[in-house]
Amino acid sequence: MAYKIETNTNQPANMPGLLRTHNLAAICVLLASLSLALVMSGMESILAPLWLLGMTAGFTLQRSRFCFASAFRDLFLFGSSRMLKGILVGLAVATIGFSINMYGMILDPKFGALPPQANILPFGISTVIAGVIFGFGMVISGGCVSGSLYRMAEGYISSWVSIGGVLIGLGLLSQNWNWWWSTFISNEPKIWLPSKLNLGYGGSVLITLTIIISVFLIVLWWESRAGLSMPSIKRKEEPDDTFNEKLGVLWNTIFVRGWSPILGGAILGGIGIFMYMTHMPWGVTGELSRWSNNIMTFMNIAPPDALGLSDLGGCAGRAGETGFFTHTFAVTVGVLPGSLIAALFSREFKLRFPQNRKRYIQALGGGVIMGYGAGLGIGCTVGAFFSSVPSLSLSGWLFAISLAFGAFVGVQAIKRIS
Amino acid sequence: MELDVRGEICPYPMMKAVEAMKKLNGTDSVVVITDHAPCLETIPPQAGRYGYICEIEETGSPEWKISLIPEGGR
Repeated sequence: MAYKIETNTNQPANMPGLLRTHNLAAICVLLASLSLALVMSGMESILAPLWLLGMTAGFTLQRSRFCFASAFRDLFLFGSSRMLKGILVGLAVATIGFSINMYGMILDPKFGALPPQANILPFGISTVIAGVIFGFGMVISGGCVSGSLYRMAEGYISSWVSIGGVLIGLGLLSQNWNWWWSTFISNEPKIWLPSKLNLGYGGSVLITLTIIISVFLIVLWWESRAGLSMPSIKRKEEPDDTFNEKLGVLWNTIFVRGWSPILGGAILGGIGIFMYMTHMPWGVTGELSRWSNNIMTFMNIAPPDALGLSDLGGCAGRAGETGFFTHTFAVTVGVLPGSLIAALFSREFKLRFPQNRKRYIQALGGGVIMGYGAGLGIGCTVGAFFSSVPSLSLSGWLFAISLAFGAFVGVQAIKRIS
Repeated sequence: MELDVRGEICPYPMMKAVEAMKKLNGTDSVVVITDHAPCLETIPPQAGRYGYICEIEETGSPEWKISLIPEGGR
C-alpha cells in the first residue's frame, strides 16, 4: 500500500529556522507565561508549579491531539480505538502514582477515611445521567471540555463557542443543583475500592489494572473487526549525520510532528500524578463553574448556595475558591498558553471558522448539554473519569460506561446531521 | 473529485471522505483539502477499506492535500 508524505512548503520546518515568526511568537508566549508564573508564585508559592503543570498538560494535549470525544466516538463511528488506547495507558500510569500518593495519606484504608483531594465521587443514578448527557453533548459539539479548551488556543472558533455553551450549561445546572442534590446525590455512596471487601491498595490497583488491560484487549479486537490499519508511512528522508541535523530531527520529533496518543496519555497520566502530589488531581470543570457563577452573579441571577458541594471533592467542589489566581485557575487556564506554544512551534495555529453554519449551533448546543453533564457529574472527562479512576473510585468507571452510551447516541445523531 | 473541508473538524472530514469513496466506488480519485491535523491520522486508515491508496502533501501551514487514489490506477 502506497502512502507518502511530501513537504511542499516554502518554509521547511527545521532547527535553523528558530528565528521564524511563528517560533518567535511561541517563545514570546512562553516567556509571558513564565513571567506570570513568577507573579503568581509571589501570591502563593504553590500556584507556580500548578500553572507550569497546566501548561505542560496543554502542550501535551496539542502535540498528541488528545481527544476524549474522539476516543469514545470513533469506536462507534469507525471502529477506531487509536485514542482510547492512549487514554487507557494514561489511566494505568496515573493509577500507580495516585495509589502511592494516597498510601502516603491514608495508611489503613479500612479505617473509613477517604484521602483528601482525591476524585472519589458519588456513585449512583446521578453519575449515569451525567455521563450519558456529557457523552452525547461532547459528540454533538465536536470535543469535550478539555479538548475544546486546548483547541481554543489552536484557533478553532467553534471551540470558543463550545466553551461558551459549557459556561451556560454549568450555569443552568448550578440553578438546579439543589434539586439534584436532595433527590439523588445526597443518598449516593462514595465507593473507594481500597476500603471495600478488604481489598486494600494492592487488591484495588490489581482490579483497576486488570480492567484497564481487559478493555485495551477488547478495543483491539473491536478494531480488528472493523478492518482498519494504518498504511505504512514513507517519510521524507531527513538528514541525520551532523550534530545540527540530529538537532533538527530531535526538534521535529518534539515540536513539529504529532505525538502518538499512547505517549500523550502516558505523559498526561504523569502530569496528573504531579498535580495530585502538588495539591489536587487534574480537573477543568471547577474553574469553568467559578466563571459561570461569577458571570451569573454579575448578571444578578446568582445561583442558590450549592448544598453539600464543598464536601464532595472533585473538580466542582473547589469552585468556591475566591480571587482570580486560584489553584483551579492555574491548572485549567494554564492549558491555553501550553497549547498555543505547541500550536505555534508546529505551525498548526490558524483561526478556523467553520464554513458550515450548522457547526456553530452544534458547538453551542452540544456545549450547553455537555456543561450541564459536567456540572452534574462534578467533573468532565478529566475530573470525573481521567482523575477519578486512578483515585480508585468506582464512580470513574460508571461515568465512563455512561459516557460511552451517551457517545453512541450522539454518533447516531451526527450521522444524520453531517 | 475535490473535497474542500477547511474549517471542518473531526469527524466530518473523515465522514465526507468515506462517503465520497463509497459513492465513487473506485471510478475516480478523491482529493481532500484540510487544515485539521488529526485528519492525517484518521483518513489514511479508511482508504484501504474502500480499495484506495493514500498520498499526503503539505501545501501550507497548516494545510494538507490528502489524495485518495483507486488502487487499480488513477
